[in-house]
Amino acid sequence: MTEAALAFHRRIDAALADAGLRRALALTAGRLAGGRTAAFDALADADACRDDARRARAGAIARLDSLLDQFAREASARGCSVHWAETAADARRIITGIARERNIRLAVKSKSMATEEVALNEALEQAGVRVVETDLGEFVVQLAADRPSHIIAPIVHLSRQDVAALFQDKLGATAADVADIPSMTALARRVLRAEFLQAGMGISGVNLAVADTGSLCIVTNEGNGRLTTTLPRVHVALLGLERIVASAADLAGVLTVLARSATGQASPVYTNVMTGPRRRGGGAGTGPAGEPDGPEELHIVILDNGRSRILGTPLSEILYCVRCGACLNACPVYRLIGGHAYGGVYPGPVGSVVMPGLHGLEDWSELAHASSLCGACRDVCPVKIDLPHLLLEVRREAASRELAPLWIRAAMPAYSAVATRPRLYRWAGRAAARLARLLQHDGWIRRLPGPLGAWTASRDFPAPSARSFVEEHQARKAAAK
Amino acid sequence: MTSPRERILASIRDGLLKASLPAEPNGATSRRPDSPAPPAVREMADQFAAALTALSGHVHRASGAEGVAGVIAGIARAHQAASFISWDDAHIGCPGLLAALSSHGLERVTYDVSSDRDRRAADVHALAGVGLGVTGAHAALADNGGLVLVSGPGRGRLASVLPPVHVAVVDERRLRPSLEALLREEPRLLDAGSNVVIVAGPSRTADIEMTLTHGVHGPKHVHVILTP
Repeated sequence: MTEAALAFHRRIDAALADAGLRRALALTAGRLAGGRTAAFDALADADACRDDARRARAGAIARLDSLLDQFAREASARGCSVHWAETAADARRIITGIARERNIRLAVKSKSMATEEVALNEALEQAGVRVVETDLGEFVVQLAADRPSHIIAPIVHLSRQDVAALFQDKLGATAADVADIPSMTALARRVLRAEFLQAGMGISGVNLAVADTGSLCIVTNEGNGRLTTTLPRVHVALLGLERIVASAADLAGVLTVLARSATGQASPVYTNVMTGPRRRGGGAGTGPAGEPDGPEELHIVILDNGRSRILGTPLSEILYCVRCGACLNACPVYRLIGGHAYGGVYPGPVGSVVMPGLHGLEDWSELAHASSLCGACRDVCPVKIDLPHLLLEVRREAASRELAPLWIRAAMPAYSAVATRPRLYRWAGRAAARLARLLQHDGWIRRLPGPLGAWTASRDFPAPSARSFVEEHQARKAAAK
Repeated sequence: MTSPRERILASIRDGLLKASLPAEPNGATSRRPDSPAPPAVREMADQFAAALTALSGHVHRASGAEGVAGVIAGIARAHQAASFISWDDAHIGCPGLLAALSSHGLERVTYDVSSDRDRRAADVHALAGVGLGVTGAHAALADNGGLVLVSGPGRGRLASVLPPVHVAVVDERRLRPSLEALLREEPRLLDAGSNVVIVAGPSRTADIEMTLTHGVHGPKHVHVILTP
């Protein structure tokens, strides 16, 4: 096993040993998944809605080059500055550059997985910019110097007592401030409101960009996305280059399924669409008045960082993903081990495809094995991505690149040679069953030898029956005569 | 020397040539049946009220500047708000409302956020203590209780997000069945201002132990006054 795979297994063991985490995961993922089911049950034509959303996303990816170009032109025509970042380092350089040129000291952020992906906060802090996460969950993650463990519910892994202790330690909160969850929320509002009013820059991700008007859509429930993109003088949006749709109608199609999939809401509280920076009037009191608020500058940083490479691989369908998190909540593996165990920015079934896609199979292909291929993720995906198929593609590609363990690479051709020769197969099956029965105790094998021992390390193997299926079949046929 | 833009677009084109994207069913049009004729205003108003109430929003009915101002004054009293920021009268769509609010003793704080960095900070700090925001709405969505707010001159963004209480005055004729229906009617709506936002109820979070809590960053209280 590679070092990365061993580390993954160690993280899984640690997660499984954490009883509090397992309780929290069962509660959160269970509730989110239940909410999703109820929200789709309430839709008369739920399946057709998913088809519509898939059509919007598939259509956009199939002509991604022209849509992205159109989006950039339309956004520029409305006064946006459009930047192109080939790598995470480019994105960091561009955004820290914007901050430095304007002498920005404080930036407020609304939740963005793409900024996590490029490790933007660290780069800005090094450039002397204080960065404040304003989504409540992300704010807690930042105070704890932790990492989000779920795409849309970042502090699944923390209890209210954890948050209370953190607020007392880092914010000097009183006992009354942390008496209950509404009090803690009110405290976070007070602390963060002061930052919003002071910040020179607001940083956001983008849920979806609309090509024909150059618009950005950001959905939030808390309203931090609106404050981030309205109060500071400068707004910087980091857009993963695949997150685009052709038109407002396509946006509406995806929005129909997005919040329902994420949280079970019919719609988010705030569906916030921005088209260019604040629109100025004729000026000097002579012309028509302008808008009274909004950012003076809107910078859009279009991020590649491996996405265009995924397009040319068998994993390309993952680019339809709108990051709702439904596949995490549905996944029996995620529900046991949580987001941190996956080790990357994107966990769960989607992460097990995205991480090897973006960052290479060498360090990340093992994630695709943390799946029973049960298909629950595909069943809940709002754009019907065939995730089990993509997980198999990751496994297949890793095996063909000799990233699978040596014994598997040796054993598979051997198995293939035996399984395609019926006589040999029958003989080998009988031999294996007899050997296995020597290891059994009360009908169960507790430990298999050699590399097979990894399988029985966490579960028992049922002892094979004394007679093979073929033997049983022949015996019954003989008895029936 | 090529630019990053050219290199990224070239890489996408290269990827699209090699891509093995699944075949999709033909046709750009929706397979979903066309929506039936729009329901009656009364029906949409009831549906809107039910949806917004389920989201912990509040729905009132009133008519005329005096009637609407009376409702708003009651809300302001309940939340001890003495001042408000708002859209201009013409955009709220209830002529005389601002004067009527003034006669109820409510002070309108006007603003035009400066583009200058330092003055901007002072401008927004001056609004921090305002207790109430009053807006109209471009449309209201019956299916999810959403208010569609379009920014523009006299229609600031902050009135619906900065104060802890947001009151929107909406003419019932602005009700539409859904966002999809509205966008079919106005396909270029997203470009009508620098900001088009759909607000469905008060600000909320469930980040801590999945416990629903209102008013984390945006308004904790959302009131909609439907006018005939």
